[in-house]
Amino acid sequence: MSICVTRTGEAAAVPVLSALQHDALAEIFNIGVGQAASALSDIVGDEVTMSVPSIRLLDRAGAGALLANNQARVCGVRQQYDGGFRAEAIVMFDEDKSLDIVRLMVGDAVPFEELTEMEQEAMGEIGNIVLNSCVGTLADLFEQELRGSLPVVQIASGAAILGASTIGIGDGADGDANPIVLMLQIDLALAAHCIHGYIAFLLDMGALGDLRALVDIYLARLA
Amino acid sequence: MKHAGYAEAAAAAALLAGAFEALDVGAVVLDQARRVLLWNSWMSRHSGYAAADALGGDFFALFHEQAGRRLEAAVRQALRDNFPAVLSHSLHKAPLPLFADRAARDGGCRMRQAIAVTPFEVGIAGSGGAAASVGRRCLIQVNDVSAAALREKLLRTHALALREQSISDGLTGIANRRHFDAAIDKELRRARRSGRPLSMLMIDIDHFKAYNDQYGHQRGDDILIRVAATLAARLRRPLELLARYGGEEFAVVLAETAPPQALQLAQALRQLVAQLAIPHGAAGAGAHVTVSIGVATWRPLLLQTAGEQGDAAALIGAADRALYAAKRAGRDRVACDGQAVSPP
Repeated sequence: MSICVTRTGEAAAVPVLSALQHDALAEIFNIGVGQAASALSDIVGDEVTMSVPSIRLLDRAGAGALLANNQARVCGVRQQYDGGFRAEAIVMFDEDKSLDIVRLMVGDAVPFEELTEMEQEAMGEIGNIVLNSCVGTLADLFEQELRGSLPVVQIASGAAILGASTIGIGDGADGDANPIVLMLQIDLALAAHCIHGYIAFLLDMGALGDLRALVDIYLARLA
Repeated sequence: MKHAGYAEAAAAAALLAGAFEALDVGAVVLDQARRVLLWNSWMSRHSGYAAADALGGDFFALFHEQAGRRLEAAVRQALRDNFPAVLSHSLHKAPLPLFADRAARDGGCRMRQAIAVTPFEVGIAGSGGAAASVGRRCLIQVNDVSAAALREKLLRTHALALREQSISDGLTGIANRRHFDAAIDKELRRARRSGRPLSMLMIDIDHFKAYNDQYGHQRGDDILIRVAATLAARLRRPLELLARYGGEEFAVVLAETAPPQALQLAQALRQLVAQLAIPHGAAGAGAHVTVSIGVATWRPLLLQTAGEQGDAAALIGAADRALYAAKRAGRDRVACDGQAVSPP
């Protein structure tokens, strides 16, 4: 099993996930977000469910374009991981969706148009729980030991948030390799609301190679 | 040489210990078994446990209420998976029994907290100093965010007050025209979705100008306040919303209300105002202050001809027409749009 590679114009090669690899990763990440949802449910005392309906491999521009509207401000929570492989993970919701999440979880009714300092801090914790669960599941499965950083909350355009990553800069054979983004769509449901967002894993080429190999090992184990 | 190296290391350790003590955040270090290895003076000051009480003991025996909760899960994840975690004030308020001072402790008023849990590795010299193993530790940092929490609470209180002011009428305290406009649009959307009827009343105080001319504007204002209070007392929020529509005109939005119930309610409101028996001595008026009421009900048919705004305008227009029919028929009565005016 190998990941087939397509070329998109002049841009660097962006590998494509096969149906089997997609399903394997979807299964892994659905376990991860499931654990995160259970932790969030305990915190808010109400049922929170999360799922990953789709996963794609994209370059940074492609990932930026996927964010619903490039004009809309996005609340991103970023953590770096290194160890067995190096990756940066960002969970992203449109700012107005983030407001919905925080207000549903915290129960505050005052409709400020922007996330307050305390609300950003709450988004940081929610992102922290989601990212640690997803990366933890991935690390367990790949039997890799990772180190994580504390979460950093950033509110900006989706492209700016993706662009702030340090992954890929100065890496790879080209010197300034465009990182590959493993882009997960996530659905978060709480109190009859369904909120869509994304998790982006920015991987350098080495990490992507590891990921390919590890997904194939996982698939071989299942076969 | 060896001795000098030892002295330097001891000096460095003393320096680090001093800095750790001096930190203006709560700082605690736990080992793999969650035993307290370090406990700074900030923690002693705000928890009431001196370092001697805390060191060597299980952190979650000290703070047993967090056992099985998010903080324990965060510590477990840090020690097992090497992942850091944060506990935000918004989602947890005050997870640990920490207090700003004695008065706060006596009053049971906990410090508002933001907590970070960070794993780290330390090299531990093996026996004989040759082999070194690595052990994982976990740093818990507690920040006092009481000031920020208070600031945001004030901001929210002010925002709520401003919003309240922006949607209520300054004189009568009931909803203002702006609130009414938003409410009728919202209820029309809801009625369209649910297919349930939506009615509204337009209420006007009879001969109000004459009353003002006779008794002065202050007495006129008193009438507005009393009539508004009387109408509001009979209505059940949030399905029945009373608003001051203009000068001496009031409007009522009646969600999920069919024409017979709207008419019945309008008659009851008209009688309540008449029963106030406020004398009205102006020429041409009856003996007391009375109101005329127009009733209209939104019908799906209107939707086909008018858009969203048009729908609200059509409903208000119909209530207005009924109100003027009631006025023309002699005042102190209720009229339904498109029907003969009933006697008082």
